[in-house]
Amino acid sequence: MHALTDYLRSNVTPGEAGDLLWATIYVLLVVAALSVAVMLMTWLERKILAHIQIRYGPMRVGPHGLLQPIADSLKLLLKEDIIPAGADKLVFWLAPVAVVMTAFTTFLVVPFGRTHAVTDINIGILFMLGISSLSVLSIIMGGWASNSHYPLMGALRSSAQMVSYEVPMAMAIVSAILMTSLKTGTGTLSMIRIVESQAVQGRWFIFSFFPLGFLAFVIFGIAMIAETNRAPFDLPEAESELVAGFHTEYSGFRWSLFFLAEYAGMLAVSSIAVTLWLGGWLRPFSNALAGKTWDLAFSLLPALTVFALAGICLLGAVRMPKHPSFKIQTVGLAVFGLFLGAVGLVLLAPQVRERVQDMYWFSVKVAFFMYLYIWYRGTFPRYRFDQLMKIGWKVLLPLSLAVLILTALVGIRQELATVLMGVLR
Amino acid sequence: MSLAPLLRKIFLVDLLKGLKVTLKYQGPKEIVTEQYPLERPAIAERFRGQPRMNVNPETGEPLCIACGLCALACPEKLITVGSERNPETKKKELTAFSYDISRCMFCGLCEEACPSDALELSQDYEMATYSRDELLLNREKLEKGPEPTVYER
Amino acid sequence: MSESKFYENTEWQETGKTFLDSNELILNMGPQHPSTHGVLRVILKLDGEKVLGTDCVIGYLHRGVEKIAENRTYVQFNPYVDRMDYVAAVSNGLGYCEAVEKLLGVEAPERARYIRVILTELNRLASHQVWLGTHALDIGALTPLFYCFRDREEILKIFEKYCGARLTTHAFRIGGCQYEIYEGFQKEVLDYCDFVLPKIDEYEELLTTNRIWVERTKGVGVLSGAECIELGATGPVLRGSGVKWDLRKAQPYAAYSKFEFDIPIGKNGDTYDRYLVRIEEMRQSVRILRQAASSIPEGPITAKVPKVLRPPAGEIYHSIEAPKGELGYFIVSDGSTQPYRVRVRPPSFVNLQALDKMVRGWLVADVVAVIGTLDIVLGEVDR
Repeated sequence: MHALTDYLRSNVTPGEAGDLLWATIYVLLVVAALSVAVMLMTWLERKILAHIQIRYGPMRVGPHGLLQPIADSLKLLLKEDIIPAGADKLVFWLAPVAVVMTAFTTFLVVPFGRTHAVTDINIGILFMLGISSLSVLSIIMGGWASNSHYPLMGALRSSAQMVSYEVPMAMAIVSAILMTSLKTGTGTLSMIRIVESQAVQGRWFIFSFFPLGFLAFVIFGIAMIAETNRAPFDLPEAESELVAGFHTEYSGFRWSLFFLAEYAGMLAVSSIAVTLWLGGWLRPFSNALAGKTWDLAFSLLPALTVFALAGICLLGAVRMPKHPSFKIQTVGLAVFGLFLGAVGLVLLAPQVRERVQDMYWFSVKVAFFMYLYIWYRGTFPRYRFDQLMKIGWKVLLPLSLAVLILTALVGIRQELATVLMGVLR
Repeated sequence: MSLAPLLRKIFLVDLLKGLKVTLKYQGPKEIVTEQYPLERPAIAERFRGQPRMNVNPETGEPLCIACGLCALACPEKLITVGSERNPETKKKELTAFSYDISRCMFCGLCEEACPSDALELSQDYEMATYSRDELLLNREKLEKGPEPTVYER
Repeated sequence: MSESKFYENTEWQETGKTFLDSNELILNMGPQHPSTHGVLRVILKLDGEKVLGTDCVIGYLHRGVEKIAENRTYVQFNPYVDRMDYVAAVSNGLGYCEAVEKLLGVEAPERARYIRVILTELNRLASHQVWLGTHALDIGALTPLFYCFRDREEILKIFEKYCGARLTTHAFRIGGCQYEIYEGFQKEVLDYCDFVLPKIDEYEELLTTNRIWVERTKGVGVLSGAECIELGATGPVLRGSGVKWDLRKAQPYAAYSKFEFDIPIGKNGDTYDRYLVRIEEMRQSVRILRQAASSIPEGPITAKVPKVLRPPAGEIYHSIEAPKGELGYFIVSDGSTQPYRVRVRPPSFVNLQALDKMVRGWLVADVVAVIGTLDIVLGEVDR
């Protein structure tokens, strides 16, 4: 009981408070939430991509295909585990494990709210960047261990792409970090304090020093797509190319681990983008629409969103085809809608409202990025590998360097001005 | 490069145009898929589907006069017409008729050749069977016409 | 099949590097491949990722159509012809029927010719839509495929209402058309023209100015006009390289001399130009359709042709402008009811020979783009 009240009253993350029990619970919650999020992402990707392509997507497995991810994971679990002859058994086993571990470890510092992170490391952003670079190693391990030159070529291409786009990514991140020192005088690498400095400055970094903040955000936005091997930079894993990618020889559960790690990586870099530029867990318009009533209105939004989702479910249940084979789906969808309605009601309670607000806004922003990923995949053709590398090194890198230098100069414009005055006088 | 193309290049205008097109089509009203077993497509009248032998609706007698023109017209030679001459009316009467759908390409030449509207390609396209023998249609099956199996679940 | 024969006889580029330095690799883009538009096998010799030479192995879809022709009567062979270029079946039928009509010395009546033009131009639109969808899919754009197929669906519905089948239409007969146009045919065709023009604009919005598309296709697979003529390439491949040659204008057949339309020409002969040429051809097809569908003359739809066709002994070569190029039929008749020899000149087969020239020195990813831009259909290549 003490543990619960201590936890509810604290205003720091469990890691900072040294609270081992809650930190462990948070770790388990994060892993569970990630898995659920990845499953949801697969369903969303198939549905949204299908709608872009004017078709339905999965409709049969559950109502509107909602149980499709479960069917997919069951299928992958039950598949035969093929290990190619001559493959390095230890490395072959280790590669998917390593890639999933690195993807999940980055989520230790992702802040869903002021107190809703596992911990807050002083060098949070550096930690995330470093761990995601480790995933490159596991991709090479996967390609090498397959003992076949197509996966090896694919792995090398993939890793070359990821490594070359990490440089503009890092430059963009540094230009955002520079802005954390504006009002307080000291910069910070800690994820929570980055968001807090945005709150203190009263402005999300995407709008700082317009257009520099926006440019840094765009550069990061492009680099993060290339980093996660998604369209239009997905040549290493495209189906219509010859080399089928580093995960060719992996089947069943091992492949699903690679898949899980890819989506977790997408979520991780989106979290970085949201934290650094879009104000993390802060609600929008906290300056323009301030005050108690606006706070109340915004805090009702999570419940309203859940109610809207419940309404969509119930509407879908009403519009299901009236064929006897669809009865179970209709009932299932209606029950799910009612369940969502109950969750929405719970979210209306005042105590729950405050704690859920941060997580809600963070999730909404990350969901927006996920939607962007899927939208880009449906719209753009893919770049050839040399064109990809050209963009990374010849376009994004000089641009990000320029943005970094300009941000630094604009940031110290007062001091620069006094120095110049002194020199000129 | 002149100003306007340069600006278009910097501001990624072409990419945004593509994004706008795909955004427009994400509304559920744009979907053109027909959910097949529940929604069947509308079939045209002239559709060349499963063959059928017509009988006179009033008398129930076959309209086929056993001339054998359909067998002559078929490029794949998969129709066999068996006939015998009726001693009273001195006309040929149909005894056996077989049509092999497994090799048929539904070109419609037999339908065109038939002088008496007996052989007709109907609008049925669900002709899957469980074994090759069932694809050899005899006269009874052709006269009964396409019988789609109705499934409960 | 012994592999060594293939590489011994072809002159492939040498890398100039020593054995230990080079990354030479013989790669087999096998018959089953998502991007080879059918069962085409391409053996590539690569240096790292650069292509040094290619060799196409065809014949996986060979069905002996020309041999079948020797054992069928002229009327009976008509349905087989659709199955060669199965995407543009109406054009195949048109070429064959016109060739036999020339041999017989009959001329299809005016109304039949108009109907033939309408159906052939609709088929050109459909074929180019399939081409655009699959070509974009190979380059990575997933959505134009679905948009093109949705628009093509309307054309197939018109075909179904007219002749009873969507793909293997068997639309024409020797001497004219078999079916009278159905009630509302003209209105539907004109409605379709209004429907499809904004859709073509949409395809262009998605692709033409898209920087990724331009980078993937500009300058890739260049074929000069002289090289095209040397290889015998025809159709949009020839026109994309700047040669103004379209059989509908140069040797008009059916009713094409009655309509006004332009022939789009490319400049550089690269993939991007061929793409632009085909998009413009789609627009010109709509123009022809509008003129034809609003002015179909009255009259019989078939000429007087004997029931049993016995063309006089002789030979004839007749070619038409199929969506993929010049489709030619060389028919030798020995006076009997069955042709002595039917030789089809498929445009895809001749265009495919340009693959090696276009792809040398480029990367593996471009092989896929070039195969797409040549617009081959293996049914035609292998017959």
